[in-house]
Amino acid sequence: MDKPTEPRTVSLLRHAILILFAAISVYPVLTVVSISLRPSNQLQSTDLSIIPEGWSFDSYVELLAEEPFLRWLGNSLLVATLVTLTGVAMAAIGGYALSRFKFIGRQATMLALLTTQMFPATMLLLPLYLLIAKLHLVNTFLGLMIFYVSTALPFCIWQMKGFYDTIPTSLEEAARIDGCGQFDAFLRVILPVAVPGLVITALFSFMTAWSEYIVAAQVLQDSQLFTLPLGIKSFQASMSTQWGLYAAASILVSLPVVIVFLALSKYLVSGMTLGAVKE
Amino acid sequence: MVMAQVDTSARQGESRLSIVTLALLLFGIFLSFAGCQQSDERQVVTIWHQMVPREREALNRLIEQFEATHSAIRVRALYKETEELRSGFQVAALAGIGPELVYGPSDVLGAFHAMGIVKDMAPWFSEQIEDEFLEGALTYFPAADDPRRRELVQISDRLGNHLALVYNRDFIATPPQTTDELIELGKKNTIDADGDGRYERYGLVWNFVEPFFAIPFLTGHGGWVFDDSGQPTPALDTPECVAALEMILALRDEHGIVPRSCDYETADSLFKSGSAAMIINGDWSWVDYLETKGIDAAIAPLPIVSSTGRPMGPMVSPKGYSLNGFADAEAAQSAMEFVRFATGEQSQRELLNEIRILPSRKAVLQDPVLLSDPTLSASRQQLANGRMMPVDTELRAVWDAMRPHYQSLLGGKLTATAAAKAMQQDALRGIKLLNRKSSTGPAAWIWQLTGILLIAGLVVWQRQSLIEFLPDVRRQPFAYLLIAPALATIGLTVVFPFFYNVALSLSDMSLSNFQDWSIIGLQNYREVLSEAMFFWVLLKTLVWTAVNVLFHVGIGVLLAIAINGPIRGKMIYRILLIIPWAVPAYITALTWRSMFHFDYGAVNLLASNLLGIDPINWWNDPGPAFTACIVANVWLGYPFMMVIALGGLQGIPGELYEAARIDGATRWQQFCNVTLPLLKPVLAPAVTLGAIWTFNNLNVIWLVSNGGEPADKTHILVSYVYKAVFNLYRYGYGSALSMVIFAILLVASLVSLMRSRATENVYG
Repeated sequence: MDKPTEPRTVSLLRHAILILFAAISVYPVLTVVSISLRPSNQLQSTDLSIIPEGWSFDSYVELLAEEPFLRWLGNSLLVATLVTLTGVAMAAIGGYALSRFKFIGRQATMLALLTTQMFPATMLLLPLYLLIAKLHLVNTFLGLMIFYVSTALPFCIWQMKGFYDTIPTSLEEAARIDGCGQFDAFLRVILPVAVPGLVITALFSFMTAWSEYIVAAQVLQDSQLFTLPLGIKSFQASMSTQWGLYAAASILVSLPVVIVFLALSKYLVSGMTLGAVKE
Repeated sequence: MVMAQVDTSARQGESRLSIVTLALLLFGIFLSFAGCQQSDERQVVTIWHQMVPREREALNRLIEQFEATHSAIRVRALYKETEELRSGFQVAALAGIGPELVYGPSDVLGAFHAMGIVKDMAPWFSEQIEDEFLEGALTYFPAADDPRRRELVQISDRLGNHLALVYNRDFIATPPQTTDELIELGKKNTIDADGDGRYERYGLVWNFVEPFFAIPFLTGHGGWVFDDSGQPTPALDTPECVAALEMILALRDEHGIVPRSCDYETADSLFKSGSAAMIINGDWSWVDYLETKGIDAAIAPLPIVSSTGRPMGPMVSPKGYSLNGFADAEAAQSAMEFVRFATGEQSQRELLNEIRILPSRKAVLQDPVLLSDPTLSASRQQLANGRMMPVDTELRAVWDAMRPHYQSLLGGKLTATAAAKAMQQDALRGIKLLNRKSSTGPAAWIWQLTGILLIAGLVVWQRQSLIEFLPDVRRQPFAYLLIAPALATIGLTVVFPFFYNVALSLSDMSLSNFQDWSIIGLQNYREVLSEAMFFWVLLKTLVWTAVNVLFHVGIGVLLAIAINGPIRGKMIYRILLIIPWAVPAYITALTWRSMFHFDYGAVNLLASNLLGIDPINWWNDPGPAFTACIVANVWLGYPFMMVIALGGLQGIPGELYEAARIDGATRWQQFCNVTLPLLKPVLAPAVTLGAIWTFNNLNVIWLVSNGGEPADKTHILVSYVYKAVFNLYRYGYGSALSMVIFAILLVASLVSLMRSRATENVYG
């Protein structure tokens, strides 16, 4: 595909918009960085500079050396990775079914998936406890994963369904004519084209598991099993928060997500779907 | 494109095999975690506590000592935030998975006891225990079955939790004895040297968002939260209360020695950075101040109110352990062994030494540290002026009634007299709701019958689909097979909570009917829909949702289009723009709150320095406060929409643009005729879901507005529900309100789905 060069004004406009919003996006997080470097343990400061006077990495050192931060990180990585794998697999096939087949209860399923997102969080607290107790899921990662997968799935399926909808059915039809089975047509022709959609789905599943707090607080009762949000929240107390640790941990928690996005963004720009309609 | 389907049969077998292997592998991993529990044979005792970090360290040392001498017991301490501990323990105990012990102040015990979720601890102790502890250190309640018998529901290891005056000796040589002296010292230390309207130092700061911090002013004027009748009747509409509120206002407006807006974190930061000469704060914070470098802090009792001659007395409360009412005998035995140890003399002496906290045992009062340490002696003097916090559940209603009007008063919306009056009215109303016994409605079987009829109706209505279902499964098993795993997983976690909630919404579950709730019918729904407040909050929620989603999608698509072109630095932009999504919202929401601070927030500073706009007091008025919440949430949400839009844009073939260009379409026409229509199928589900999430977004409102400030005026429906359920224990009412929220969303999405189905046919 040829890349037409754009007029200078358009390019400038692009940069202007992006710089403005990049600044807006970054500033609040820079203040978190600033808190994490602050020598005293406080949230607010009269000092607006990003690198505070007398700054130090003490909070980071304390976090890594004295707190079980790495253990929490390991737990979170494990849970988030498994949730991502399971979630993407289920969403990839579920979304495909909804996009390509007119089966009984298709509309109802679509609606039911959406419906699960409508429960106010307050409504789930009590039944969730009862469920966790009944299923003997207290203190297991399995319990956590079931909830995360089912929380992330509705969106993931919707997202995948939407993405499959943009892929012309002529692709499978061609594959079927070439003698491909139903499942193979999906696996070999559609799935590769759907990679950008899968990437977003994966990112979303990962994020859900990575930053969830409420369910984790109910399921995990042992600090050895804590995931990162639980660990970070333990630095906070209603009237005495270790802001330095809290901020340092927040920065370190955000890094993997940024890295995941970085790694996956290659797929986003690789242009897998381009040319799919050429046949 | 259609290339690799040449030699298929062999490859097909291969790929099926690999899928099966992968599935087995995943299942194996699942199982290995299910079985991955401690092989530790010791009896586990779990404690939920709300200790500040320094106290937690002390607790952990106690646990180590205990475990060293009790080899068969393992103690796990888990921190829970105050609200989380309260609401979490209620439901966890009911489900039978709660911790064996909860540790905290005594104010929640009334509710726990009324719900029957704490056990009498008296059988584990001798009669003499009362002589060994200070007055008020043990909390008893009359037993539910026999009011003459007392049940021991809390054993404390400390007595205090009280406020005192902390002053910086760099600025103040001797602490004030009277409020007149306090004002004088405050004026001397309120300094704006460069005259820019922003003070370099304030005379006095404290958290004047929480009514708990107003109590010393109330007692200093001879008032109290309840009257003298012995019954928990609120006494807020009194001359004493009005005088107290007026004094607080005068400190700020007349004498100008306190900041115009000041919550806990602001006060804390100001004092720690030497920008405040005095702070009113509690015993949990003092050691932290004493150890903060750059300030020279000391503790003193609060002064005497000059006009009345009475000392300002804080509320005093014991903190200690309570036993879960559902703990089994063995666990309870182990738990009580730990309680005996942790509240014992030796343990209390250690706490005294390590964290400068006053003991609850008489014997420890003679400890030499207590007599020699200046902080502890000031603390004891202050304690002597204090008044025990009532343990009645009604106190909850009093706090909830005071908070909004207190905040309105400080926002200049109410006079002291009007605020006191409104507090009293709301407190009485809250107490009535708290203690109300629901009238019994028609018997439960009527509702069961209704349920069965509804299901039968559904079956009849959908009979055609049901008849066709099995043949259809046989016709295209592939489709059903693909969707089944997802549906099974979601069904497991959703179906039960949903129907449970339906039952609760028809029930009288509340403080007085916590365990023995029964179905009473539609009363809760009637109540929800008859409140004018509900519709007002609903309107606000709709505005909140519409504005947020509009900006999320607008900014998201704009950025996606800007970035999706031949420009330099694409990668860097993309990473920077994703940051609001990548950083956990629970920290950035707090950052946004401080960015909207009146004096020090970046928003006001930018507005006044760059644009010359007068600084806005964001948290004093509902409008600006709500705007601030929306700004924070827009910031949190646009990266998500950008990513979705970007994914969609990548899927649009460049040839379409080429074709459009050849046809002579302008950029705008290309956007309208190529980009938007093709973006729609990808964006549509995201927009629908985004709207639902925004509608139900509890966290941002809660964290940014600090639970509804000012005066509970920034609530949207979900935060309103949260407050209603957990503050006044109205589970039935809360469930009904949740169902109404759910119904609103359901109807709205159905309508939007029907509309989009029309468009789906065009592009699908």
